Amino acid sequence: MNETVITLTQSDATTTMLPVATGTIQIVLLTSAVMFAIGMVGFLTRRNMILMFLCTELMFQASAIAMIAFGRMHLNPEGQVFVIFILTVAAAEAALALGLVVLLYRRKPTLDAEAWSELKEC
Amino acid sequence: MVDMSAKLFLITPEILLLIGAVVVAVLGLSSNRRVRNAVPWTTVGFLVAAIIATDVVYDGSEAVTGADLLLPNLGLYLKVMVGVIAIGLVLVGIGMVDRRYEEAIRNGRAGFDPLRVVRGEYHAFLMLSIAGTMLIANANDLIWLFLAIELSSLPTYVMVALGRGTRRNMEAAIKYFFLGAMSSATFLYGFALMYGATGTLSLTGMQEVFATQAAAGGIPFFGLLGMVLAFVGLSFKITAVPMHFYAPDVYQGAPTPVTAFISFMPKVAGFGAIIMLCMAVGWSGHHLIDDAGIKVPTEGLPRPVHATLWVIAVLTMILGNIGALLQTSIKRLLAYSSISHSGYMLVGVIAGTAEGIDAVLFYLVTYGVANVAMFGALCGLQRHDREVETLDDLSGLWKRHPGMAFVLALSSFSMLGLPPLLGFWGKLDLVVAGITAGETPLVVIMMATSAVSSYYYLHLAGLPVIRKPDARTEGVDAGPTPWPRIAGVVFGVGILALPFAAKSLMTQAEHSTDASRLASPEAAADSTNPDSGMSIEAKGSSGRA
Repeated sequence: MNETVITLTQSDATTTMLPVATGTIQIVLLTSAVMFAIGMVGFLTRRNMILMFLCTELMFQASAIAMIAFGRMHLNPEGQVFVIFILTVAAAEAALALGLVVLLYRRKPTLDAEAWSELKEC
Repeated sequence: MVDMSAKLFLITPEILLLIGAVVVAVLGLSSNRRVRNAVPWTTVGFLVAAIIATDVVYDGSEAVTGADLLLPNLGLYLKVMVGVIAIGLVLVGIGMVDRRYEEAIRNGRAGFDPLRVVRGEYHAFLMLSIAGTMLIANANDLIWLFLAIELSSLPTYVMVALGRGTRRNMEAAIKYFFLGAMSSATFLYGFALMYGATGTLSLTGMQEVFATQAAAGGIPFFGLLGMVLAFVGLSFKITAVPMHFYAPDVYQGAPTPVTAFISFMPKVAGFGAIIMLCMAVGWSGHHLIDDAGIKVPTEGLPRPVHATLWVIAVLTMILGNIGALLQTSIKRLLAYSSISHSGYMLVGVIAGTAEGIDAVLFYLVTYGVANVAMFGALCGLQRHDREVETLDDLSGLWKRHPGMAFVLALSSFSMLGLPPLLGFWGKLDLVVAGITAGETPLVVIMMATSAVSSYYYLHLAGLPVIRKPDARTEGVDAGPTPWPRIAGVVFGVGILALPFAAKSLMTQAEHSTDASRLASPEAAADSTNPDSGMSIEAKGSSGRA
């Protein structure tokens, strides 16, 4: 499948991308929607901090998959470029999340988010 | 197409702030106390430099007019506003960061350990967040918008965690971070769907595609769903309803200077992004298709987007103001008050077009100034060496610290919108924009909830005067450094004096929508060729005269 190689030239980036059947795109989009929904539901129901974080990652990656699918659908590389940035930001957030979790774990040796519920309506 | 150097020239203020962030991060690690104490002032210096740079960049330069932005002149107003209010926010935090540790070093009870000081990090993250907020004004595509929003919000998560002394702090940080990550993912998915509907990430390109689609058969389902998801995600940044519930906890748990920061800066970022997205879809030229298959033209944003924002705005105003009635903690009360202010500003967004945007931009200034004054007074006081927490701590303040009680009263009256003060003009502007756009029910709800808010604002302003000081308030005295109080007084004077300059401020806000690619009703009416008229108009008009 060497025709599907994408060359990013200034003049015409789309010529070397071949259209794919819409059915394929739909399946990919459906996958991304399901991933996003799983991530959202998981985030709302899980109480383990690592799992909650993984659920937000799942939502990020769902957006990345949707970007790629749409980029393929419109035959332009912008969606794929966006994905690189999404991955970078997701990595930054992962570093931050793990740092925070370690900080919290030192104070209370538990990963249960429920253990941190001192602040609430009085 | 502008070349890279022109683009870099456009973001000179942000580049200055990024350099500043590195500089203060290093300075904060110095073992010399004088150098460490210079960190906040270095930050202020870089902020001033950024403001001056903004003025130079936007002085009729080619970079601005040629940058293919939806709102080419937004940056001048937004960056200067953010810069000036950020100086106030830095002053509010002086002496609060690392206070105990610095005292211990001075008394010889502790040695200097670079791993334990956070002053440099705090100011570095503050500047990074401000740079992100400023970058939103220059966003010309969704990638830039996404990165700018993330740059403005990631540092704030760390800032909340920096006061790592208390458990409440940690809890606030983890709540803020997790919900923030979830909201980012939500609006990111919205961006993906908008890209899917239009096939372009460029905001101007997206506007043209949306205009064509609206004129043909209406914006496709994906586009509308994307907008709705994006707004729901961004509602975290502006503490609006579906994602507002973190605000009281986080505001209460964060150190007070950080609370001051996160109640203003992410809000500017969120509203900047929301205005951009609304600009892309346009406030005119949309229609519904009724049962008989006939197009019925509608006012404002496309119906589903309009309905979403409408519900968000109404619930935000109601829940924010009702929630604040029951609070005993000052910071929780201010959190709910900040929620309700977002609701008011959403009225301006829904009203839309140039007037609505101008009103929102002007309101951001009035809110920001009152916010700095309020938190300046709160940070300037302490009770037994700790932050002032409950409303009871304020009783009898008038006798002990009349100045701070006055600033507190002034800023709450301004937030309430009492006539001669700055906040009144902001609210008036929003109301006028709302009524002009035919959103009368929304304006009525805004006025009603605003009337409810008078209960807690008057409470906040009146307690220091009416209630007698008791044993609890004996411990309340002025904080160690005068700078937060000075910031409070300066911005308090601003609340009194700026109404005289309200006209020119509003002109500046209006200037930011000049030369914008705002689809006028006429342009939408003959939208058979939607991209011809608008783009020529935008390219032809020069920047700042």
